[in-house]
Amino acid sequence: MKTVSLGANRPSAVKFRMPTRDNLVPIRVDVEVDGQRYRDAFTWNPSDPDSEIISFAKRTAKDLKLPANFVPQMLHSIQGQLAEFRSYEGEEMQIREKIVPLKIDLRINNTVIRDQFLWDIGNLDSDPEEFARTLCDDLNITDPEVGPAIAVSIREQLYEIASQSVSAMREARVSKKGRRAPEFASNSKAMHNSLDLFKYFGSKGSVVRKRKEWYLYEPVVDVARKEEVGAIDATEELSSRNA
Amino acid sequence: MSPPAAGAASSGEAPPRELYTIPASSGWFRWDEIHETERRALPEFFGGAGGSGFGTASRNPRIYREYRDYIISKYREDPSRRLTFTEVRKALVGDVTLLRKLFAFLDASGLINFSASPSRPAPQKKPDAEAILEAPVGLQVTPRPPASYFVEERGGGGGENGFRLPPLTSYSDVFGEWAPGRGPICGFCGEECSDGSVQTLKDGFKVCSNCYANDESTGEANKHLGDKKERADNHASSAWSDAETLVLLEGVLKHGDDWDLISQHVRTKNRSECIARLIQLPFGEHMLGTINGKSDSKLHKNQTTERKVDKYIVKESSSQPTETVDGMQIDENKNDTDKSNEERPTKHRRLFSSIDPTVSLMEKLVLLTTSSSPDVVAAAADAAIKALGNENPLARKAFHLSEKEYRTRAFSSICARQGDGIVGGQDAEMLGHSVPGNKKGKMFISTTYQVRAAVATALGVAAARAKMLANQEEREMELLMASIIETQLRKIQYKIKHFEELELIMDQEYATIQQIKASLVNEWLQVLKQAFEAGVPIPRDEVLMQLFQNKPTL
Repeated sequence: MKTVSLGANRPSAVKFRMPTRDNLVPIRVDVEVDGQRYRDAFTWNPSDPDSEIISFAKRTAKDLKLPANFVPQMLHSIQGQLAEFRSYEGEEMQIREKIVPLKIDLRINNTVIRDQFLWDIGNLDSDPEEFARTLCDDLNITDPEVGPAIAVSIREQLYEIASQSVSAMREARVSKKGRRAPEFASNSKAMHNSLDLFKYFGSKGSVVRKRKEWYLYEPVVDVARKEEVGAIDATEELSSRNA
Repeated sequence: MSPPAAGAASSGEAPPRELYTIPASSGWFRWDEIHETERRALPEFFGGAGGSGFGTASRNPRIYREYRDYIISKYREDPSRRLTFTEVRKALVGDVTLLRKLFAFLDASGLINFSASPSRPAPQKKPDAEAILEAPVGLQVTPRPPASYFVEERGGGGGENGFRLPPLTSYSDVFGEWAPGRGPICGFCGEECSDGSVQTLKDGFKVCSNCYANDESTGEANKHLGDKKERADNHASSAWSDAETLVLLEGVLKHGDDWDLISQHVRTKNRSECIARLIQLPFGEHMLGTINGKSDSKLHKNQTTERKVDKYIVKESSSQPTETVDGMQIDENKNDTDKSNEERPTKHRRLFSSIDPTVSLMEKLVLLTTSSSPDVVAAAADAAIKALGNENPLARKAFHLSEKEYRTRAFSSICARQGDGIVGGQDAEMLGHSVPGNKKGKMFISTTYQVRAAVATALGVAAARAKMLANQEEREMELLMASIIETQLRKIQYKIKHFEELELIMDQEYATIQQIKASLVNEWLQVLKQAFEAGVPIPRDEVLMQLFQNKPTL
């Protein structure tokens, strides 16, 4: 009968950037000095001048009452991640419509949230912050730190995907495999779990999921009590030290 | 997946048939079509910025329809609860950003969450179709004062000493204790201001100096008005406690439009108080609108503001009765024309306004006249006055008509004036003033007759309107029946087509099978021949025998 052609799945090449509306880089900092630990995750605008990083680090240390010897390490960490991002910036990457599942598995203060949803990494208009905000509003999460943490987690996953596609292209070019290789390479190496479009979008499929599968794509939120939080903290600490 | 189309935008199909009220602003929506608005708002599904193409495999109109129909059906399963994006996205396959955009579009255009109570605690920007939580400062939406407020009547105004009209008069309703010759009434506390102590607020409202002083100190006009409302309420009966309000809301949700049942439900309040209270609640108008089939209370607010505006106009003009009569009436006419042109009140609304016995006749008349054009009203008034004139020759005098005028019926303007009388009682006043020297007796007659004329007009107008509505209903029913029949026919046609196709395919397959069978048999023949020639012993094959024997009959 009818066949559906995945016509507009043509890749277009753009300069490397975060495939979101705002080109913000996720930064994760984990610094330990003299038994004190500072862990944080936030987004940074790579077009901000570097002088901003120093003032940000100093102000953060002051706000959290950390000793001054935290600052150089924080600085180093942030600058390193930014440099890595910038190293990709000159490259080109393939942007095509590709729907991948993203996962959230976070614990923020005493809220635990697990979720899974589909994200089109070719949609340059996507907004992780808005998604996180909607999620927190719909689930009535009152802790204001949960939203940004979710957004950062999404960005990290998107960043990973984007950088993978860039490095795949780079390799392919280096090995002189010709133009078709990058597509295949990125197809196989990059998201191995990219969505089987035909199953849902084809003429016989339906984009409405079966009810028994709903639980997979539904967010699960747990608000742990204080004692549990302490216990979870301790176990995490131990495991990260040993790792 | 999509329910069968029923044509009318105000009903969704689900057995048993339920009526969904949707905001008038989203009346363009159809189940089996994609409207221009949708194409423009979500061009990704339709092939890019132009919005007219067919998109890609994962973004095309069919997919869009599935998403949209699913979300809207999901919302309509329970229209009173707010559908959240997270609930629907777990059941839909696709990019969450795009789904979010689609969801936001449906929300903003009033196709979902239009009658869900706003439940967000944090301040958010709400779509326009939802309840307005408070009146803007400049606008004062005064609720209809409860019944007892009207009870203090002064017999048709100061001009008719010693005569008390039955409580149908509107004059006292409008002016309360005001009468010509007394000072202006303060807009806030309702009392007469002593001369010279009148202040004017910035929106032109006249207040007495006491209230002005109070107002300045509190600094909030609304608050004072709230006090007045409460005082009026207290004056009528006990104030509304929280429990009573809760019971009232329950009653409204359960009984909808039936104020008798609601007042029974709220045992301690009579129906007019219930209505007044509901209006006072922040989203009361919204609920009324929902019940009555219109989720925006434009009509109602228009009514109340119009009444207030009229009060104000009348107050202003009270000092110059004759000159401003015409101007005011012309305003009235314009108001009515505007209203009748811009909205069609539903049946429910009509029912509501006519049942309430505490509303004065004149006000009811006004509500009715707003539903039809002034010409209809004029014609009805015409007929009424003529009939009354036939009844009693005095009536003609009362209407100040010369014989000639009466016959030629060239007085539609006068009739319109009288027919439109929200200030019908004041008509009596004005006419009384403009014809000085009339005896009391004449004025007495003129008033009654005018009242009767007004009543007759009301009846005439109501009858005309009812006939119109009945015709409309009939036509709607026919239309619906026709569409149902058409849908059934189409269904059957599809089935027939489907079966025909199947038959064709079966025929082809049958022919192929025949061919294959024939070729198989031939092959066997060849094999046997060769085996025979080669002298190979052939076991007797029952099946083959049968095949050969059966062959001619196949």
